[in-house]
Amino acid sequence: MNDMNQSANLAGHNVEGAFDVARIRQDFPILGRQIHGKPLVYFDSGASAQKPRAVIDAMTAVLENEYTNVHRGAHYLSQTLTDRYEGVRGTIARFLNAPSEEQIIITRNTTEAINLVAATYGRRFLNKGDGVLISDMEHHANIVPWQLLRDEIGIELKIAPIDDRGVLDLDAYAALLDGNTKLVAMTHCSNVLGTHVPAKEIIGLAHERGIPVLLDGSQSVVHSRIDVQDLDVDFFVFTGHKLYGPTAIGVLYGKAELLAKMPPYQGGGDMIASVTYEKTTYEEPPYRFEAGTPPIVEAIGLGAAIDYVTAIGMDKIMAHEKALLAYATEQLAALGDIRLFGTAPEKAAILSFVQEGIHPFDTAATLDRAGVAVRVGQHCAEPLMARLGVDGTVRASLAMYNTTAEIDVMIEALERARTLFG
Amino acid sequence: MTIAPEKLTQYDEYVEALDLLDEDSRFEYIIDIGKRADKVAFPAECMDEAHMMHGCMSKVWIVHDMEGDGHNFRGQSDAIIVKGLVSMMTGSFSGLTTAELGELTLDHVRGLNLGALTMQRQVGMMAMLKHMQKLSRISDLAAAN
Ligand SMILES: Cc1ncc(COP(=O)(O)O)c(C=O)c1O
Repeated sequence: MNDMNQSANLAGHNVEGAFDVARIRQDFPILGRQIHGKPLVYFDSGASAQKPRAVIDAMTAVLENEYTNVHRGAHYLSQTLTDRYEGVRGTIARFLNAPSEEQIIITRNTTEAINLVAATYGRRFLNKGDGVLISDMEHHANIVPWQLLRDEIGIELKIAPIDDRGVLDLDAYAALLDGNTKLVAMTHCSNVLGTHVPAKEIIGLAHERGIPVLLDGSQSVVHSRIDVQDLDVDFFVFTGHKLYGPTAIGVLYGKAELLAKMPPYQGGGDMIASVTYEKTTYEEPPYRFEAGTPPIVEAIGLGAAIDYVTAIGMDKIMAHEKALLAYATEQLAALGDIRLFGTAPEKAAILSFVQEGIHPFDTAATLDRAGVAVRVGQHCAEPLMARLGVDGTVRASLAMYNTTAEIDVMIEALERARTLFG
Repeated sequence: MTIAPEKLTQYDEYVEALDLLDEDSRFEYIIDIGKRADKVAFPAECMDEAHMMHGCMSKVWIVHDMEGDGHNFRGQSDAIIVKGLVSMMTGSFSGLTTAELGELTLDHVRGLNLGALTMQRQVGMMAMLKHMQKLSRISDLAAAN
């Protein structure tokens, strides 16, 4: 019955056909809302994306008809829901082109996935004086876990620089790999600048020196096609709520040989093979890393989100967003008073900017009056703000459901801000 | 104890003025107050860490001095809207004693009826009020020592 629901929800989208943004918008109930009497223009998907009906319905259906705990009961509900829950692992594995669903670990979010790697791989395989190399455009989620490890075991945190466009300096990166570097942990796509990092080159250079690489795919998974085998990446993490899925679910993909060597993260139920007071043996991956009752309903929601994105087609989403980015960039430039941060040739539809002489907060408040939701501030990337030499920016982060007409609304509101504050 | 009405005339003026306006006009009213506040010099040497309020999306500084047993406040922010909001708070509640300041609650902030403002900013204004209350207590302690 659920499969039928799902295909009914997706039937409107001709998988082979053109990308129809009007039809896609109808799948997202919240996009019909008014804010301050104006149609909502949601340009904050980089913080968290809105949810399509398919996700909402899938989660509601579980709660109404199928709910129980997984991995435990011998009863009918438990077995069917466990099958569905485990089926999502397969959906995620196919979405990332992972060799096996056993390499997909369910976490709460990106933040927990990175903390998991730091606490298990990091504590087991890194030693005092070893270097962990990140970039100068990381989210705090990929800075602070390594700082905690630095304080605990004395690793060194190394920073690969970016240029003024927000492009990673590959020569500097390669030079920093030498010496003590034992792990690279880097954003795949910057949440502030939109920069797509050349992951294959980064991984290739690291692997030449036997260094594993973790990619923070929080943004890249939304805006590009991910193939973990083609990338040959060692760890790949992402968070469900930015990918049109629910909150409180994230993913860690790891290479099988690395996961097999890693100790457990947290202790409890679901992660053990057997427990006596004298000795406990742990499950194999992925269960070893999933203590306690997992986010069952959220997993079903994430599965529905991935099915939805897949049915529309990542290539079409990327083409649409590319056109939006080009249009927004051009329109912002035409205003003449915009300082845009992040002009990498390869970037996602994320636009960080300030209006000359106007505080980002004033800009964002004026946009809010026009129904335009943007983020303002440091975007959980204080060191990057310091590198850019600003206290904060306004960030418009676009998604598959946005339109050029919405960009026009934002531009008009920016003109109004110029009148009010200029 | 209640606060004597004449001590809150500026507050009452704001309440009355805002009450007559629709949301968009309120927004512009706050911007106007922010712009007017801009014309009154705020001591540059006070725009430092010690006078800064933390936890705001923009920077907010509040300075304090005494006039008799009343506390005077002046506020500053790098964002005009926040400057408007902080000016409304400092303008409304300057001249009160420590005890009177202590009586102010979220209801007084709500009383301004800044419906145009998001909750985030309401919370920000409550933080400003708390900060002013804290400054008044610190100054009393310093005077007692
Ligand atoms: C690049 C990047 N990394 C990490 C995160 C953290 O995601 P979460 O808060 O879901 O763990 C985000 C989201 O804000 C992000 O954009």
